[in-house]
Amino acid sequence: MRVKLEQRWIKRLLQLPESGMGYQRVDLSLADGREVRDVPVFNAEEVELPDDLTGVRIQDVRLHAA
Amino acid sequence: MLKLASSFTSELLRQAESGMGYQIVEATLTDNKTKRGIAFNAELLLFDEEPRSIMLSASYSSILESAKSSTGELKSLRVVPRASTMSLSASVRESAGAYGKKTGPAKDAPREKTKADEVFKRFSAYQNDRRVQADGSLLPGSYATTEADAKNVKTGAEAVARYALPDPASASYRFTIRPDKDTVIQYGIVQPDYGQPGGGVEVLFAEGTQPQTVTGPDKIPDK
Repeated sequence: MRVKLEQRWIKRLLQLPESGMGYQRVDLSLADGREVRDVPVFNAEEVELPDDLTGVRIQDVRLHAA
Repeated sequence: MLKLASSFTSELLRQAESGMGYQIVEATLTDNKTKRGIAFNAELLLFDEEPRSIMLSASYSSILESAKSSTGELKSLRVVPRASTMSLSASVRESAGAYGKKTGPAKDAPREKTKADEVFKRFSAYQNDRRVQADGSLLPGSYATTEADAKNVKTGAEAVARYALPDPASASYRFTIRPDKDTVIQYGIVQPDYGQPGGGVEVLFAEGTQPQTVTGPDKIPDK
């Protein structure tokens, strides 16, 4: 499911380079301690997440190191 | 597009994925012709010549339900090894690589500078592309393509395929970028990814572009 990021993550991502035209590959830390690796963020604002993670708050967003 | 018989599904499930949820396969048809395609979830085969936008036209389950059965259509199916996939794409890159003989991704390419009056294009699924600033500049680290390469793209779905975009939504908003002379750029070739062939020219503006260098977007057909 696609999830809209909070404004602070949008701001951060806009300061970081893209991975390709219109998207960034990121790693996420979630508030429940889980880590999600290498998921795409579109237009610095929408992230594609597995359905079981969509309700969990995002604690950190970092560019995925390829 | 074919709904795979359970024997093919079992066979695919014994083999590695090419990416999350899909396998790049070569199918031998009953007339002995071979075709490449993508098998989704080891059960739905979409041939390369079929637009991937089909996958957006309805829910996955209804597409699967309405797909024709592979029975009587397919003789065999094999997952294309990663190296072979790269080899195929290399031939695509060879043609696209006429631009400066580049074959790798832009991020690994040496930094160059734009010439006077060079024009670039950027395809996006978003009319409000956030990398385009209110002052008409492009943020540092943004990607685009050359004007020449963009001429290969007539629809948003073709942009998704040629630039291997992870978002299957049609990238049908096309921005035009006219950077100042001597703007830093890196040229490369889009690598296959996300089940897309890639092969287009990609340009990385590592330092962005100057104000009033980006115009648009204009809208091209979705598919």
